[in-house]
Amino acid sequence: MSAPTAASVAEPPLLELRGVRAAYGRIEVVHGIDLVLPAGSVFALLGPNGAGKSTTLSVCSGLMAPTAGSVILAGRRVNGASPDQLARAGVCTIPEGRSVFPNLTVRENLQMMTFAGVSMNAVEEVAYARFPRLGERRTQLAGTMSGGEQQMLAMARGLATDPALLLLDELSMGLAPLIVEELYTIVAQIAAEGISILVVEQFAHSVLEVADTAAIMLHGSIARVGPPRELEDELSAAYLGA
Amino acid sequence: MEPNPTNPRIEQFRSEVADLDIKTPADSGERTYLLVGIVLMVIGGGLIFAGYWGASGTGVLAEQIPYVLSGGFLGLGVMLVGAAMFVRYSLSRYLRYWLIRTIYEERTQADKVVESLGSIEALLRETARSRADAE
Repeated sequence: MSAPTAASVAEPPLLELRGVRAAYGRIEVVHGIDLVLPAGSVFALLGPNGAGKSTTLSVCSGLMAPTAGSVILAGRRVNGASPDQLARAGVCTIPEGRSVFPNLTVRENLQMMTFAGVSMNAVEEVAYARFPRLGERRTQLAGTMSGGEQQMLAMARGLATDPALLLLDELSMGLAPLIVEELYTIVAQIAAEGISILVVEQFAHSVLEVADTAAIMLHGSIARVGPPRELEDELSAAYLGA
Repeated sequence: MEPNPTNPRIEQFRSEVADLDIKTPADSGERTYLLVGIVLMVIGGGLIFAGYWGASGTGVLAEQIPYVLSGGFLGLGVMLVGAAMFVRYSLSRYLRYWLIRTIYEERTQADKVVESLGSIEALLRETARSRADAE
């Protein structure tokens, strides 16, 4: 991780969670977590299935209201902000399972993002510059593309909105290791441009190479936070419940 | 990785977040509606009793009709609305809880099955190994 600059010390982090709890009805699944994500950094939130990672992401994006604690964006407590307010400000979620429209073409999928007030030319320019493969397949139905290409399309759609904070849920799910590596190289490039990224992953090794900080989440609590290298060895033990 | 701290988009994001008009999260209203339902049932009961009280105080049919209408029918209507609200909101709370509980139980069961299969697999592997050693 790079040393903090004077500016980054003075500025509040782009995303901060303080003692956040979240519940589905009476069942609490996130039990008071703390997390800090400075501008331009990548935070990897790792853990086995059912640890509460995706719920944490839903809280960050405003889809779920925390039952306790604070969600702080750029120094402001935003508990109660609607997901569309946060999305308009620049919080972009790329959900698990790619979520592209399978019966629309690549171009038509990208067109969906013009609702945010961005012109189609600008959307296509950003998408094809970042993912040239999408440019080659612009008239192809999204559902007929490979899993990796669909994930690229989902990312391209998200990036078209010019986000400041990117929330990625299980980017690697169901993809070949080489594709995952390629996607995470792009994630690193995006972070280098100053965009903060919170990545939720179950299978972790690729994300650890690009993350500045990583945390292991177990049973709704953060069990360990630290530099990715230090956490790599502990991951297997954590997954196996040792 | 060296992030770009001077990205103007970040500054724009900070100012946009600062300008957000955030309303305090509203209560779902479910508990309130439940209470309103109970109150309406009580009021309905009160109206029916008042109607009965008024009607029983006179032997003239023409004087009893207003009591039946405002006390009896109105009271019954208010009571029914209250009961419907009570059932609707208490049932949705219960069903939601029941659904979440079912999902939770299913997950626990699935974990147990996976755990048992793991134990069986380890046991089989151990048996195969000891059989191979014996041979």
